[in-house]
Amino acid sequence: MAEPGLIADLSYRDYDGPLLPPTHRWWVIARLGVRLAFRKRAYWVVTALSSWYYLVMMAVLFFFEQAAQSAPGPRAEAGFEAFLQRIVWKDQFLHGFGFAQLLYLIAALMLGAGAIANDNRSKALLVILSKPCDKRDYLAGKWVGVFLPLFTMMLLPPLVFFLYGAFSYRGYGFLDNPWFFPKFLLVIAAAAAVHTSLVIGVSSLFDQGRLAGATYAGVYFLSNFFTQLMVFAWLASQGFREGRFRAMRGESPFSAYVDKLYYFSVDGLLIGLCKAILGTDGSPQFGMPSPIQPVPAPPLLPTLAVAVALSAAFVALAWSRIRAVEVVR
Amino acid sequence: MVASLQNLTVRYGSFTALDSLSVEFPEGCVGLLGPNGAGKTTLIKTMLGFLQPSEGGGRVLGCDIRAQAREIRQRVGLMPEQDCHIPGLNAVQFVAYAGELAGMPSEFALRRAHEVLEYCGLGEARYRNVETYSTGMKQRIKLAQALVHGPKLLLLDEPTNGLDPRGREEMLDLIRSVSHGKGVNVIVSSHLLPDVERVCDHVVVVSRGRVTEQGAIARLKVIEGRPIDLELKEESPAFVEALRSLGAEVEELGPVLRVRLAGSAEEVSATIFRTARRTGAQVRGMEVAQRSLEGVFEEAVRG
Repeated sequence: MAEPGLIADLSYRDYDGPLLPPTHRWWVIARLGVRLAFRKRAYWVVTALSSWYYLVMMAVLFFFEQAAQSAPGPRAEAGFEAFLQRIVWKDQFLHGFGFAQLLYLIAALMLGAGAIANDNRSKALLVILSKPCDKRDYLAGKWVGVFLPLFTMMLLPPLVFFLYGAFSYRGYGFLDNPWFFPKFLLVIAAAAAVHTSLVIGVSSLFDQGRLAGATYAGVYFLSNFFTQLMVFAWLASQGFREGRFRAMRGESPFSAYVDKLYYFSVDGLLIGLCKAILGTDGSPQFGMPSPIQPVPAPPLLPTLAVAVALSAAFVALAWSRIRAVEVVR
Repeated sequence: MVASLQNLTVRYGSFTALDSLSVEFPEGCVGLLGPNGAGKTTLIKTMLGFLQPSEGGGRVLGCDIRAQAREIRQRVGLMPEQDCHIPGLNAVQFVAYAGELAGMPSEFALRRAHEVLEYCGLGEARYRNVETYSTGMKQRIKLAQALVHGPKLLLLDEPTNGLDPRGREEMLDLIRSVSHGKGVNVIVSSHLLPDVERVCDHVVVVSRGRVTEQGAIARLKVIEGRPIDLELKEESPAFVEALRSLGAEVEELGPVLRVRLAGSAEEVSATIFRTARRTGAQVRGMEVAQRSLEGVFEEAVRG
């Protein structure tokens, strides 16, 4: 017990302040997750890195525009307009999203791998569930506490690019389709939800965040690796150059399988979801001509169903694994 | 009455952990005693609404244990037996977070966290990460997080576990201080009888899922017939013989004589002193004989 001080009264006093009704405690748990995430420097570094495609794209646009304005004559102007004609604006968001997949994974590991695993190690549930909270509050709080920072991280770079495009290229068709950005918000919400559900489910299996992180990263990379391996093995058997392009164009009888394999991994699923929701197959990056044909978008509903089912399965896994030490149900 | 439970039965599959248990916890500090596996922790979890009883019911602080678990947990503070904390937080953040979980607005929770940490003797270490704390400090912070929202009932599960003698003394002082005159009722679950005896006024003994003894410690320690324990300067067979001739039952317990004699306390003591003077025995000590809490416990557990 603290010694009585000369100035401060350090003896125990009852708390006579307000107490909120004992409901909606999930938000307190979520808020702590968000607060801890935003306090991590690495989170902001990963967010900044994930914006690289948008930054390069903005630099390319800026460079071409400056070059067109500084060069005399109508040819420069026409060249710039031809360049802008080749750009499919919504595909730039698809590219930005696709190129940042690895960074999204890193963010998901940073934010979610320890979310439940570290609590298991420190028996935090004993503290949390002794307050007016239950398993639902805990799981919902943890899920939202990972989802919100992940969604914010995925949102900021495209939002900056969207504002840049909306102010600078409205006259070049940037806002012709008013729904593409809300659709893109749906894409990143779905991607953040899938990552959150998977990483929370894996986290609930372990007592250490590092082990959970290694496992999730392992699942992510192995699924990617085997997907790519199968695609390339098949392409090699067809004669690499010809086979790849034929398959991508859908001329080969095997192209349907290749297309499916392409999306049979975590990042493949997310990119497929992005293509399906935005309604695009994709186009060359940075508006540069390219002989490579993109893989067609998968059908929306089955892809969405796979994403929802996968997420639900991992959330259910977490639900079954969470227990407040010993026998709390 | 702080809590009142009637015919409570809790089963884990085919194993019956609490078997038609009925108990009333009075206000003040109550020790919950019982051997390992007796059902103490199950009782606490049932009182907090973590476990649904298969039969029976009860009320804690006026709230139904079946239907108002959240309300109960908002008014109760639990100090669990195991080390537990929220990873990545320092002591102030941890205790404030516990307060917010209990329903305190964040600014109130933060202010109160500082107060409670000072009270629990962690004022100097409040900005340290809890993971770096020693065992004694971890016990204190568990008490702080249980106290932060000003509970009307504190449930302390083995509060002196793993503490060195000094830490144990300090923890017991804290518990005694908070449970006497501060408006906080305390239930201490422990199998360390000296600890319970030091801080509690009442005990409830649980064995094999049933309450086998309950009441004020002072009452439970009373021996039937109110015998007197005497300490003599040296052995005196003549004194013993003289007492027996007066109809007293005299039991020799090492250096102590336990004397049972009919009559009021004044009459008994007067008779003893008269007999001692007559036989030349020197009485060095005299007190009403009591059972030890250990004796009470063993008897209760044996059933």
